[in-house]
Amino acid sequence: MSKPYTLQELLVICVAREIRDFENVILGVGLPTTAGAMAKALYAPHATLMMESGIIDFEPLLPLNHIADAHSCRGFSYATDLFSAFTMTYRGFVDVCFLGVGQVDKYGNLNTTVIGDYYKPEMRLPGSGGAADFISYAKRTVLTMLGGNFVEKLDYFTSPGYLDGGNSRDESGLFPKGSGPSMLLSTKGIFRFDPVTKEIYLAQIHPRVTVEDIKKDVPWELKISPDLSETPRPTDEEIDFIRCFSPAASAGRELNMELVITNLFRQLQG
Amino acid sequence: MTNRIEKVMSARDAIAEFVHDGDELVIGNYTVGTCAELAYEVIRQEKKNLTLYSQSGIFDVEVLVGAGCVSRLVTTYVLRAGGKKGGSAVERALWAGTLEMEDYTNFNYNARLVAGMHGFSYIQVLEGVMATDLFRKRGFMGDNKYRVIRCPYTGKDNLTVPAANPDVCIVHVQRADKYGNAQYWGALGSVAAAALASKRVIVSCEEIVEHDIIRSSPHLTIIPAYRVDAVVEVPWGAHPTEVLGYYNLDMFMYGTFMMADGTADGLKAWMDEWVYGCRDRRAYIDHYVSKFGSKSLDAIRAKPYYSAPANYGSAFTSRWDVNGLERNMGLTMEEFEATLKERGKLYE
Repeated sequence: MSKPYTLQELLVICVAREIRDFENVILGVGLPTTAGAMAKALYAPHATLMMESGIIDFEPLLPLNHIADAHSCRGFSYATDLFSAFTMTYRGFVDVCFLGVGQVDKYGNLNTTVIGDYYKPEMRLPGSGGAADFISYAKRTVLTMLGGNFVEKLDYFTSPGYLDGGNSRDESGLFPKGSGPSMLLSTKGIFRFDPVTKEIYLAQIHPRVTVEDIKKDVPWELKISPDLSETPRPTDEEIDFIRCFSPAASAGRELNMELVITNLFRQLQG
Repeated sequence: MTNRIEKVMSARDAIAEFVHDGDELVIGNYTVGTCAELAYEVIRQEKKNLTLYSQSGIFDVEVLVGAGCVSRLVTTYVLRAGGKKGGSAVERALWAGTLEMEDYTNFNYNARLVAGMHGFSYIQVLEGVMATDLFRKRGFMGDNKYRVIRCPYTGKDNLTVPAANPDVCIVHVQRADKYGNAQYWGALGSVAAAALASKRVIVSCEEIVEHDIIRSSPHLTIIPAYRVDAVVEVPWGAHPTEVLGYYNLDMFMYGTFMMADGTADGLKAWMDEWVYGCRDRRAYIDHYVSKFGSKSLDAIRAKPYYSAPANYGSAFTSRWDVNGLERNMGLTMEEFEATLKERGKLYE
């Protein structure tokens, strides 16, 4: 039996396991960079990690503060610009990218722009950033949904998944054949996409969660894999890596904030 | 692009594996520091029927055309040895009908590679040539040399050229690591675009350096490792042209070429001695030294004028400080793990 782990650690590890050796990987800030750092250290030593700011082939030593954080590493191999980072994706040189999710529909289409009406928003989210372009042209895209929702219809269509399902993405002629989201990770489980219908289904379930818990969050009749299994537990090596690399990621947002603020007061009181 | 950990190989193996008869081959270098040894190896292996792209045809284009490797040439500039009375291999091939040619301006040629590098199928270029024969006289590209489109924003006619994505780029740089990260400085010309537009890339370099050298100077990298198929270490690999920081143009040697290039027989004799007669660059340099002495080489070796180092360092490279405390939480790992347990965060 390996050592005890936190849910947040499990999530990072699920993402890291999606990176294979020799792949070119576009990382976003947060969970994906911690996952990328771990993959590079443990299973994919020849992966080329990249950021859209033009930092190419870096080895994160610290969790990133933002998408242009050259302070997180000790040098890197190639300094290019944002324009070229996107056109190299357009040309097919990016194997996998990672995107966060606000709303997602049945076919992996994403909203990261607005909740409610676009012109009179209930909640204004960040917008596309690199998302719409990366999911268009990376060979595959891994979605991470930590605070988002499954919805029948997106309030705003920011980034293209499998459009209307089936062959519609390939047939649109806008995207490389076979590209699109390959996996969605939530705090409750791992979802994948049916190879034919492209509808999202539940593939693995995290510990302490039931299928019913998950179904409650989905406004349509969610398909469940006949081979549904529990998300495999992380190894000691994986847990130790994350805990050392990014204790904040291990703790999760709330606990991290609490511990940081407690320390801040301690410091102020001398 | 190949998934190899290390891509270091000889010029012979690299050219044999990655340059094929009938390929579109682009010379990555522009005017200076040309990939002489890689070009010579293409000649020694008698590659045929190449479509050659060269931003500015200097002796590299002359020897490749003179050797009969090239059936189509896309360029902006043709070298001519000895003024009006002299000649060039390109001119002789045009007379013989063995070479077709497409003439562009420097900008419009480079734009084709820039479009290719970014994955665009065409690009807008400078429209002044529409008044000239550069636009009107078409070679083997015919209608596809230039096309005119209507700008949807201004309604004006825009001149475009099609993207170029050559099959293979041969290019010489100052230094590279064994993974293929290639660093080049000096006159940037169209070097990066030529390499990045191409499907395969063969890099030759004056020296292979440790990866850490690359990592501490990423602003000098013009081709990232994942685009490179072969790395060939060739000291003096651009001789008789110059490589900034390594050696100057060898005026004397270049002069022997220019004297020879004016006639087919002259060029053939020169190439018999310096290209076919030397199995690789080491043999070429040995032959040079035995013929002219090492003084001529010593006279053109670069003296140092180093670029100021750029500091890529940051304050720290770990979340844990020297006392083993997490920098923001102020806890040791034991204290942190105890907190996770106490708060019920841990899954057994």
